[in-house]
Amino acid sequence: MPEFREHISCRELVELTSDYIENALSAEDAELMEQHLNYCAGCERYVDEMLRTIRAEGRLREEGVPGETLTPIITAFRERRRS
Amino acid sequence: MIAYKFLRADGTSPFATFRWDLPDTKPGGWVEARVDPCRSGIHACRPGDLPFWAGDSLYEIEVDGEIVEGRSKLVASRGRLLRPVDAWDDELRGAYARACAERAHELAFGATPPLEDWYAMAEASIDQGAGPIGFVTARIAEEALGPDGHRTERARQAAWLVEQLGLGG
Repeated sequence: MPEFREHISCRELVELTSDYIENALSAEDAELMEQHLNYCAGCERYVDEMLRTIRAEGRLREEGVPGETLTPIITAFRERRRS
Repeated sequence: MIAYKFLRADGTSPFATFRWDLPDTKPGGWVEARVDPCRSGIHACRPGDLPFWAGDSLYEIEVDGEIVEGRSKLVASRGRLLRPVDAWDDELRGAYARACAERAHELAFGATPPLEDWYAMAEASIDQGAGPIGFVTARIAEEALGPDGHRTERARQAAWLVEQLGLGG
């Protein structure tokens, strides 16, 4: 067996993405993740969308969301918590 | 120390999206950053690292200060771009993809049983850039030759790039 892992799968990348974004990965895992992003366009898009979503969420404020949008979202979250 | 750095076509780094001061008739300005691999610092390639990070445009970079060497890159506290490596153009990127595809064919159909599905994946990635075809070829080497095949194939790709880019090893 090789001393080090040579690559990670797309599934592993998805599992590591939150930690990658939060700078919580080991340097070795972050290196494998960035290597993967260099050859896998699908995962590159996935991480890019995650980053965009996080940036957008950071800008959203409850008072900025219209009531007709907010009420169904709150209802859906409450129902999900009950189920 | 002289190293190499791939940037996007717009002069930004692929992961940090930092916009570099590009060299023209003189080197770009020095950039300084705390060294913390994959988080902070000037990340660059040694010649043997080139296949792992192959991208749009390639520059020669001078790195200085604290330097930490990783498995497939180095990270320094200071760096400046010295010159674009003009040989890394569309023609050479295409030649690299074809060389990888030929090698993938040789490995896939030299294996018992032949790795036909893997070769189909290689063919499909030829037009996706140097990164994908290089990786798929290394994966085929791993499937055909065993766990060390991947690293051996990456070293072979690096040797091809160093020779064709005239980097002198």
